[in-house]
Amino acid sequence: MMHADVEEILLSGEEVQARVAELGAQLAGDYEGRDPVLVSVLKGSIIFLADLVRAMPIPLSIDLMEVSSYGAATESSGQVRILKDLSTSIEGREVIVVEDIIDTGLTLNYLLRYLHDKQPASIRICCLLDKPARRLAPIEIDYRGFTIPDRFVIGYGLDYGERYRNLPYIGVLRPSVYGAATPE
Amino acid sequence: MAATLTSSSPRFAHQSEAELARILDFYGVAWRYEPDLFPISWNADGAVVESFAPDFYLPEIDIYLELTTLKQALVRKKNRKLRWLRQLYPEIRVKLFYARDFRALMVKYGRLDFLADVAAMNGNGPLNGE
Repeated sequence: MMHADVEEILLSGEEVQARVAELGAQLAGDYEGRDPVLVSVLKGSIIFLADLVRAMPIPLSIDLMEVSSYGAATESSGQVRILKDLSTSIEGREVIVVEDIIDTGLTLNYLLRYLHDKQPASIRICCLLDKPARRLAPIEIDYRGFTIPDRFVIGYGLDYGERYRNLPYIGVLRPSVYGAATPE
Repeated sequence: MAATLTSSSPRFAHQSEAELARILDFYGVAWRYEPDLFPISWNADGAVVESFAPDFYLPEIDIYLELTTLKQALVRKKNRKLRWLRQLYPEIRVKLFYARDFRALMVKYGRLDFLADVAAMNGNGPLNGE
């Protein structure tokens, strides 16, 4: 059932699950015998990560990071802060960065520089949703779930004001929820 | 030399440009404000009659950004200038950020208060389309 704040279901739960299963199988094939570590960024990516790793029947480990977001932190340091760092070393490891959505690419651009400094053997990027319309930092995406149009999406981990993460599908948030008239 | 937003920052033409500079600073992306002026039309004598100076250049990414929060009629004029720029200088990369793109960024970062302030200063409705 569609949430009242959702204007349109962009990707149904079934479509998402099917694509995540495909990505998991592809990753499992590519990383067989390589013991990758999947690094995910809180909070939006956790549901994608949880489903993705269960579709990867190979030895692997996971780690989580959290970084401050611009809007929440503008009054403090004025720069990205690592709120939660990796729990284990990734030096010499095969890293797969798991992201829910890549929009401007600014957060991931920062994270990739940070992770490269830790000297992993490789870093590849797996994102569920690629929204290229407003991309500022060029990001080479190795594994992509869906390319989506320039809409404000929620669900399957994605939030607006910390809500809607638990929706099983990817939906378009009604502009009236964030106070905007419908764009032309 | 790339800039960061400090007390000696450039004088931005619009508050939205200063906000974008703050976002770039936040994510550690180096930027320069209006560093280059590109001639885009000339008269019969060869004198430059029209130029285009994109708002930002991001040297590490090698891309120019033009931010527009203007009315639709002026956006069309800017689109035309951008089209000429791309034809005359195909080697440079320019990305135009429309009002709706900037608005979406502000929504994403929870900066609706900033949008409202800018709209009030401009005498526009706060979140309407162009």
